[in-house]
Amino acid sequence: MTSLGQLCLLTAMIGAGYAAFAAIVGARSKHRGLGQSAVAAAIVAVAALTVVVLLLAYALVTKDFRFEYVGQYSDPLLPWHYSLSALWVGQAGSLLVWGWFVAVLAVIFRFTSGHHVRMVGGPRELGELAFGVQMTYFTFLLAMMIFAADPMAPSLTPGGRGEGLSPLLQHPAMLIHPPIVLLGYAAWGIPFALAVAALISGQLDETWLQQARPWSLLAWTTLGGGILLGAEWAYEQLGWGGYWAWDPVENGSLMPWLTGTAMIHGLMTWRQGLLKKTTLVLAITTFGLCNFATFLTRSGIFSSLHAFSQSPIGWMFLTWIAVFAVGCAVLILLRKSQLVAERPMAAPWSREALVLLGVVTLALLTAVTLLGTLAEPISGLFSATRILVGLTFYNNVLIPTGLVLLALVAAVPLLRWGAGPTRGQGRLLAVAAGVGLSAILVAIVCGVRSPIGLAVAGLAGTLVASTLLAVLVTLRRDGNSSRGHHVLMVGVMSTAGFLIHLGFGCLAIGIAGSSLGSRETDLSMTRGQTVAWEGRTIRYADLLQEDLHQNVVVSAQLEVNGPAGVSYTLRPAQILYRPQNQWGTKVAIHSTFGGDFYVIMHGGSQAKQIHLTLIDHPLMCWLWMGGWIALGGVVIAMLPKRQRREFNEDNLPGHAVIPRPHIATLNVYSEMP
Amino acid sequence: MSTTKKLVIAGLVVAGVTAYMAYLGASSSWQYYMTVKECVDNAPKVTGRRIRVSGTIEPGSLSITADRREARFSLSEEGSKLPVVCTGTLPDDLSPAVPGRPTKAMEVVVEGRLEDSRTFGHHVVMVGDKLITRCASKYNAQKNEPTATADLRNPETMR
Repeated sequence: MTSLGQLCLLTAMIGAGYAAFAAIVGARSKHRGLGQSAVAAAIVAVAALTVVVLLLAYALVTKDFRFEYVGQYSDPLLPWHYSLSALWVGQAGSLLVWGWFVAVLAVIFRFTSGHHVRMVGGPRELGELAFGVQMTYFTFLLAMMIFAADPMAPSLTPGGRGEGLSPLLQHPAMLIHPPIVLLGYAAWGIPFALAVAALISGQLDETWLQQARPWSLLAWTTLGGGILLGAEWAYEQLGWGGYWAWDPVENGSLMPWLTGTAMIHGLMTWRQGLLKKTTLVLAITTFGLCNFATFLTRSGIFSSLHAFSQSPIGWMFLTWIAVFAVGCAVLILLRKSQLVAERPMAAPWSREALVLLGVVTLALLTAVTLLGTLAEPISGLFSATRILVGLTFYNNVLIPTGLVLLALVAAVPLLRWGAGPTRGQGRLLAVAAGVGLSAILVAIVCGVRSPIGLAVAGLAGTLVASTLLAVLVTLRRDGNSSRGHHVLMVGVMSTAGFLIHLGFGCLAIGIAGSSLGSRETDLSMTRGQTVAWEGRTIRYADLLQEDLHQNVVVSAQLEVNGPAGVSYTLRPAQILYRPQNQWGTKVAIHSTFGGDFYVIMHGGSQAKQIHLTLIDHPLMCWLWMGGWIALGGVVIAMLPKRQRREFNEDNLPGHAVIPRPHIATLNVYSEMP
Repeated sequence: MSTTKKLVIAGLVVAGVTAYMAYLGASSSWQYYMTVKECVDNAPKVTGRRIRVSGTIEPGSLSITADRREARFSLSEEGSKLPVVCTGTLPDDLSPAVPGRPTKAMEVVVEGRLEDSRTFGHHVVMVGDKLITRCASKYNAQKNEPTATADLRNPETMR
């Protein structure tokens, strides 16, 4: 079995290597046959790697301890679905899954790109070149699997019973969090490959944008969703009451998401003839940061809360990043003349100006996060003692950057491309700002006193108002035209992006509320005792013990009477995982729109007391809700483009009446205030 | 003033405020990251300062209060030892050794301050408020069957 797997790995690498060569040479020499043989080779490589994935998955489910990897991450008692999730828990496995995603996405991309060219027209070369870039990267990943992290390595002690999966990782979110993040990383490879292909071929028109857009949205959503799932796992499973610790690994996944967010906005300004170099740099940086995240987790240069085995893989990734960073920088310099802006920035209150400010702010946040993450290894280079920055550093930076971003997304729905707001838009902006002011008043009445909390409330209120106003304006405009039955559709579709912004607003409310208004207390209770805390009464009714096959669950029954007369029972628990002979904490959470009541039971005994920590997290669920709203926005934004084009473009509130900008209109722009 | 100039100024303001906030945050929260040996050797220099120390819990030295809010242990590395009192939420896999069972050396990272103290017979004690166990993705297999105890995670009964 293991030798079959290794044979398949080798086949995949040869196939991928050939596909990379044939696709790039075929595209440059316009040799159709060579290009088609590249696709065939890639399909062979994908098939071979699929066999490897299936072999490892089957070995994990059937607990085949002849595989070294199975012995490291599974044990005979582990339920099959958690055993399967070990596929992406370990180093070799996660690399395998990542490589498989890269290959599958590359092949899908190759076919959709071909379809795109047939439907819309445009050069074939771009897609073929991008496919070649993808295959080069895939070959690199396969080489690492073969030479440094072999998922198919045979076990030296095949009779063993396995070391088992950490109980911390036995959580539903852990079933899907890692593969989703890996899928996100793999998907960012496609905009990157398209950017590189556009630079190599010199086809720096809108073709690569059109192809990159859906892939960027997919990558942005999967990576963002993956990060949120990871946060939710930390919140529910780690039992320390928080969800984000600015750990190097978390930062590693956040940074490409931030630059990716900026890059998607860059795609929009490119269509206006602006920020071309910035967009390319962002596309390249985003993928670079995805690789950098792997370096962070595998190199062992950090004192991370996530412990991964140290391996040379991290340094291989760093070398790879260095090579492609230099390569891309050279490419951009060579194509500099093709990448100048087609016109100057129109006005400070135009959409492009706000997008630019947003890009700068996101880049700042990324840079500061990177600096904080690297403080430890960098200081280690210069002095004997290494220096770390604490949470305050990151949280402090998040305040100004977060508020600026929130202000930008609050204003942008009522602005237009290419010019400052019209008088009508100005009036609507004032109305939205008024709504924001009333939101501040409501927040004050609700007891919010912190200036940051009030600022978030005001800006979020403005954001909701401006989005609704933009939708209403669109509806009214299109209602007057003769396409009545499509009106709602148009309104919703044209504002998909703003729906994502609304999600961001929700997220900001959740983060601000749960961090600024959080309260915590430690206490011990005896059976039958009742305590009052933060407007609730909590009665410790009983302690129950359940003996299950795999573990022992000891849970406390807490009867809670909430502020509004709502009563519910919370069951915080301690679980003994038999295979590891280790206790784990299971927190109990009661979640409402107003906030979460979070209870941790640390320990205790039947006869005596139990020891609890109670935490109040106001507005916590808004954070998760923001994620779902943004997801809805993305789904709408990804609906087939043809449908959208039929309706919108020029009749949207976001578009100035002037035609698509070109050089001849330069004077018009420079005269605007 | 041209649009570009206005935007540059706006960008600089955002960058300036961010940099200032980062500076404030860094100056109030930065800490040394050191090994036990470095910490013991430089004790006078780092006393009172916020530090993060990594090392191994000396087998047998760990004791945890019944409410699992405080752990005491001796952190050791290359012959140097540092007594630690750590409060706050303790990680799940931090538990004292059970007699008759192989004890594994547990690698941890503790954040806190070094304070003068004579209670432990040492000159300094580390007062921690955050503890992380390393190696969360792998565990050593234990041959013995667990004792399914009726008492829930009570160090007294587990000991």
